[in-house]
Amino acid sequence: MGSRYPRSIRSCLPLWALLLETALLLLIFFTAYDVPLMDQKTFMGTYQVFQEFIIMAVLGLGFLNASLQKQGWSSVAFSLFMLVLAVQWAILTDSFTDWLLSRKVPNKLTSIYPASMSAITVLISAGMVLGKANLVQLTVMTLLEVTAIGIMRTVGSTFFQLDHHMDILFFPTFAAYFGVIVARCLAKPLPKGWEKKTQMATPSSLFGMLGTLFLWIFWPSFNSAPLNLLEEKRTALLNTYFALAVSAVTATSVSALAHPHGKINLLHVHNAVLAGGVASSAPAYLISSPWIAMVLGLLAGLISIGGAKCLVTQDFSGVHYTFGLPGLLGVATYIMLLLWNSSSKVWVPRTGNQMLTMMGAFSFAVLMSLASGLLTGLLLRLKIWKAPHEAKYFEDQTFWELHPHLFLHF
Amino acid sequence: MRFSFPLMALGLEVAMIVLFGLFAEYETDHGMIYQPNTTQITESERFFQLYPLFQDVHVMIFVGFGFLMTFLKKYGFSGVGINLFVAALGLQWGIIIQGILHSHGEKIQIGIKNIINADFSTATVLISFGAVLGKTSPIQMLIMTILEIAAFAGNEYLVGEIFQATDIGASMTIHAFGAYFGLAVAGILYRSGLRKGHRNEESTYNSDLFAMIGTIFLWIFWPSFNSAIAEPGDEQNRAIVNTYFSLAACVLTAFAFSSLVTHGGKLNMVHIQNATLAGGVAVGTCADMDISPYVAMIIGSIAGVVSVLGYKLLTPCFATKLRIHDTCGVHNLHGLPGVIGGLASIVAIVMGKSKKSTIAMQAAALGSSIGTAIVGGILTGLILKIPFWEQPSDQNCYDDSVYWEVKVGRSK
Repeated sequence: MGSRYPRSIRSCLPLWALLLETALLLLIFFTAYDVPLMDQKTFMGTYQVFQEFIIMAVLGLGFLNASLQKQGWSSVAFSLFMLVLAVQWAILTDSFTDWLLSRKVPNKLTSIYPASMSAITVLISAGMVLGKANLVQLTVMTLLEVTAIGIMRTVGSTFFQLDHHMDILFFPTFAAYFGVIVARCLAKPLPKGWEKKTQMATPSSLFGMLGTLFLWIFWPSFNSAPLNLLEEKRTALLNTYFALAVSAVTATSVSALAHPHGKINLLHVHNAVLAGGVASSAPAYLISSPWIAMVLGLLAGLISIGGAKCLVTQDFSGVHYTFGLPGLLGVATYIMLLLWNSSSKVWVPRTGNQMLTMMGAFSFAVLMSLASGLLTGLLLRLKIWKAPHEAKYFEDQTFWELHPHLFLHF
Repeated sequence: MRFSFPLMALGLEVAMIVLFGLFAEYETDHGMIYQPNTTQITESERFFQLYPLFQDVHVMIFVGFGFLMTFLKKYGFSGVGINLFVAALGLQWGIIIQGILHSHGEKIQIGIKNIINADFSTATVLISFGAVLGKTSPIQMLIMTILEIAAFAGNEYLVGEIFQATDIGASMTIHAFGAYFGLAVAGILYRSGLRKGHRNEESTYNSDLFAMIGTIFLWIFWPSFNSAIAEPGDEQNRAIVNTYFSLAACVLTAFAFSSLVTHGGKLNMVHIQNATLAGGVAVGTCADMDISPYVAMIIGSIAGVVSVLGYKLLTPCFATKLRIHDTCGVHNLHGLPGVIGGLASIVAIVMGKSKKSTIAMQAAALGSSIGTAIVGGILTGLILKIPFWEQPSDQNCYDDSVYWEVKVGRSK
């Protein structure tokens, strides 16, 4: 089958992947497990969060992207590939920066947490380019994006004095705009008939729904994972839960309202139901009563469907309006809550100075995502990656051994 | 349904937000809970002990029930999509109405128990949704959600607070209630035009496989469902183990009887999707009692057999004789096993396995669950029959394309 496709990545991919894995092996050889300092309960807690992250990444994001008719295999399998690569690479970059800063090499179960956070960021951005890039390109993108996130984190903790758990403030925006810029750079005029390939078919849409549901169910723990205090964690969980429930109702009904015949679009449902969770990821632990979280969910659902209807882009996975816009809304809410709290003296520690730091850090994250996205996008345009031809976009057949009659049948 | 459905849903959503603003607040750590093992734990610690169980229940409600209802060949989007919509709305309403009933006039303190119970209350609607699947419009589902959760909360209050009956896995209050409520609605909404069946009311190879995803997630997480609100310690432990054994036994008898009653000894996918779960339903009421694993296995085996026989004999009989058309067969998966669960609890109390309740109270709980369900279902059915809820015509039943954008380019 491979020979029918002139741009085979045969020489390229296995070599690259094996070289990379050997390099990772050698580098990880220099790290060591530290003595487990936590008790059994904390350990189980950490492990549970780790497990939820894997479910969100593999089942959630993998299947969410599988909703294009002919692209299911690539979405699920490439997501897994990128996840494992990103986690290994992120552990390495994180320990490297830690070593640079403090001459210590920590490697423990907890370091998997920021690493999986980076991996999820990569997978969200990848939603924009899946189907238009081959695995080599995706590998390069993974490495570059994880490095960019590492730099962002280091700068955040050294210059802006942010805790690591503040990453969650910026990650949806970072992921979305990185992906948008890379996709913009890769954009080529799509050939005739692409609409057909990106059509929804019942089985693939249902797979997409499976992914959405897993993301939807596990989003509260995602938002609460970085927090340390149990009380804050609980508030974050409950707020995210309410925001998600409201945005699910809003997304479904507004999707029907926006259609001339009042029909619901399952693609809107796939993405917009998550908007509430994304929007509440930054401010979740600050919201003090459920109705504020619910209003946030309502707004996020409206913005997300509005974005889907008005922003006509070549963005089939809806990354921009699922993660980008609600992420901005979340940061705006966060800053507003801080202002409100500090003016009414409910919550003292944040002063105007810290607020400026926060805004500085956020603008830095946005700039970083745009700059690194541009760099990655330009790099991925190089001929050496043997990118798939436009005519072969959104097709599993480009990358997979697939019996022709099975394909027609599907 | 250009305007009526979205505006009604958004209006309800705004009303929910207002209700939450007025009546709900988060629980704080000030009140300490006393634990039997002489240690004090805070609300937050309690929250994170139960959170994994809540998450399992969440997976069951959204992935499990959602995908279980994708078995119709052209109704998958509605199965899983309306399921998400109804459950997301229902859980907010459930928190409010159960909170008002239990908080005695004070503000509702939202904690882990509230959100677990809210998920449970949506389960009743999803079960009833199974009975009317394909024959209702989203607006009708909206109304049914609101009415059914109110009825459920009332019955649950009656069973739990007034009768003081025990129903830990909610076989009677959720499963039997949801099933008989759904059957009553389906009976009122009976379409004589579809007496001979509908061309879309069948499954395909792919759609049956999707439904199997739902079955498997339900099966895996059922022990969490039955043990989520049990007392921590021995009782929770027993609830998990009993449910586990009952489900395992149920799978065996369901496969055996499916092969026995199907022509040529083949397996029937409908039986496998549904009857394998009957054990979890049936063991619910006595899951936390001190019954031995073998008793749980007997309960599970009986449930599996009854459920398969129900699909074979009762469902066709209901459709023709009683004019009740039950699309998913919820009577066999939730109704009959729920009743078995109630009866099993009576037997267990007679044998002295639990001192928490009496025979009379258990019987009253079973009776009130079924009674409230049927009365509530008939009333809801009559409301849903009012002709301005945009009911689909007979022709348009079991068809997604009436409510969903199907096969349209992804970006316009």
